[in-house]
Amino acid sequence: MIELKNVTKKYGNFLAVDDISFNIEEGEIVGLLGPNGAGKSTTMNMITGFIEPTNGEIIIGGYDVLKNPIKAKKQIGYMPEGVPLYNDLTVKEFVRYMADLKMVSKQEKKQRIKEVLEKTNLTEVQNKLIKNLSRGYKQRVSLAGALVSNPKILILDEPTVGLDPKQITEIRELIKSLGKEHTVILSSHILSEVSQICKKVIIINKGKIVAIDTPQNLENKTNKGSIIKLIIEDETNQIEKIAKTITGIKQINFIKDNEDGTKEYTIITEEKTDIRKELFAKCAKEQMTIFELKKSEATLEDAFMKLIGNQEEEVDN
Amino acid sequence: MWAIIKKEVKSYFLSPIGYVFIGLFLAMCSVFFYLDVVYYGSLQFENMFYSASTILTFIVPILTMRMFAEERKVGTEQLLYTSPISVTKIVLGKFIAALIVIIITEICTLFYLGILYCFGTPHIQTILVTLLGFFMLSMAYISFGMFASSITENQIIAGVITIGFFIISWFLPNFSEILAPLSLINMFNKFPSGLIAIEEIATYITFTLFFVILTIIVLQRRKSVK
Repeated sequence: MIELKNVTKKYGNFLAVDDISFNIEEGEIVGLLGPNGAGKSTTMNMITGFIEPTNGEIIIGGYDVLKNPIKAKKQIGYMPEGVPLYNDLTVKEFVRYMADLKMVSKQEKKQRIKEVLEKTNLTEVQNKLIKNLSRGYKQRVSLAGALVSNPKILILDEPTVGLDPKQITEIRELIKSLGKEHTVILSSHILSEVSQICKKVIIINKGKIVAIDTPQNLENKTNKGSIIKLIIEDETNQIEKIAKTITGIKQINFIKDNEDGTKEYTIITEEKTDIRKELFAKCAKEQMTIFELKKSEATLEDAFMKLIGNQEEEVDN
Repeated sequence: MWAIIKKEVKSYFLSPIGYVFIGLFLAMCSVFFYLDVVYYGSLQFENMFYSASTILTFIVPILTMRMFAEERKVGTEQLLYTSPISVTKIVLGKFIAALIVIIITEICTLFYLGILYCFGTPHIQTILVTLLGFFMLSMAYISFGMFASSITENQIIAGVITIGFFIISWFLPNFSEILAPLSLINMFNKFPSGLIAIEEIATYITFTLFFVILTIIVLQRRKSVK
């Protein structure tokens, strides 16, 4: 559906996107993940044909964006970063204008506009001026504009930025449901969001692809062992001594002193060993009160930090 | 392209811009109508346009300065340039929309003609030629204003560049005889005498084409530089 081949974008001497290639199949929901300034928006802008790559090829549904821009662009619905909108139009006028720009046929237009307004919950405010709407509504108006032509591909640049938690959940649900009918690419720097919505993650840093995989695989790859978080009353630092008597502990890290006199540690154990029972028994024996004992999984966040950290080390070396 | 024309014309009249443009122009026309026509007890409606054409220098930027500058600043250009419409059509769409406002303005000035008809029969052919000339001059001015708007994201700068250029062009004959033919506004002066001046029309059209094409090139090029 979407194919990028050795795409590079230079701004003067600055390499914003450095020789990236990837493939996105029909029906996938893909997350483009990276810190600010990693090249996410630039990549999206190139896919949508807003800017031209310095080098490389972008094929959308069989059409080259540079050679056949009209046909390629027809298949895309784009929600740009920062949701730019025409403030002096009403919601309905805006969606109608987008439908006209996308060349939705006259017969379908009315029906499409109605459907899209319903889907994005905008029917009530359809006659309001866009400038009078709150951020959450604006986001949905922008999404409605992207959806109105029923495009095969939806490209959403930071779709949840600036929303309150309730709105974020709503938009995420909406995107998930859209994934059933459209191929979706969304960019985000929020990791939990990507792991919730996307089936595939492309991690970008400094214009380069660091990893392409499912969120689960990335999490699994990152951490072979498991991590245990422990908060314990331990004034005399006995925990290290106890730890030595338990097999399967790889490492114990002191995190911080809490105000209530407890201490926080993370314990890294070997894979598939659960030391919690033994740890609890031994601490109880020493009359150390455990306040918290929790097994935590490696998150996408860890994967991300690790991958990006690795890249930075390479650069330093 | 039709979608863009429709939206742009609508925008002119949803915001105060269209009204300010037409209102200011008509207000000044009323003054000139009195000074140049009524005062002399004349029926020569076209005389009003000698003065009215100078007003274009100051009000055309109202129409053109936001054309591309605002889209760029607000970011809506992303919606425009990612839609399946070529840059040429986008530029032509906006250009034609501004011309439509000019036509509406010209239609409004016929009101003064109506007044003259109460007192006699003005020479209708001369008036039509004058309106054609006025349209041509506006067209050339708009093409430059549009170009100025495409090179900056600041509306004010676009406006100032436009007015500056028009004023320089206006006073060119004062600097040198050789430059005199380049003054767009001086070229207009033949029309109210009832002359369809091919040379002038050709110049207006060439000038317009030059700046419309330049605008397309600027916007097209920004895609790869941006």
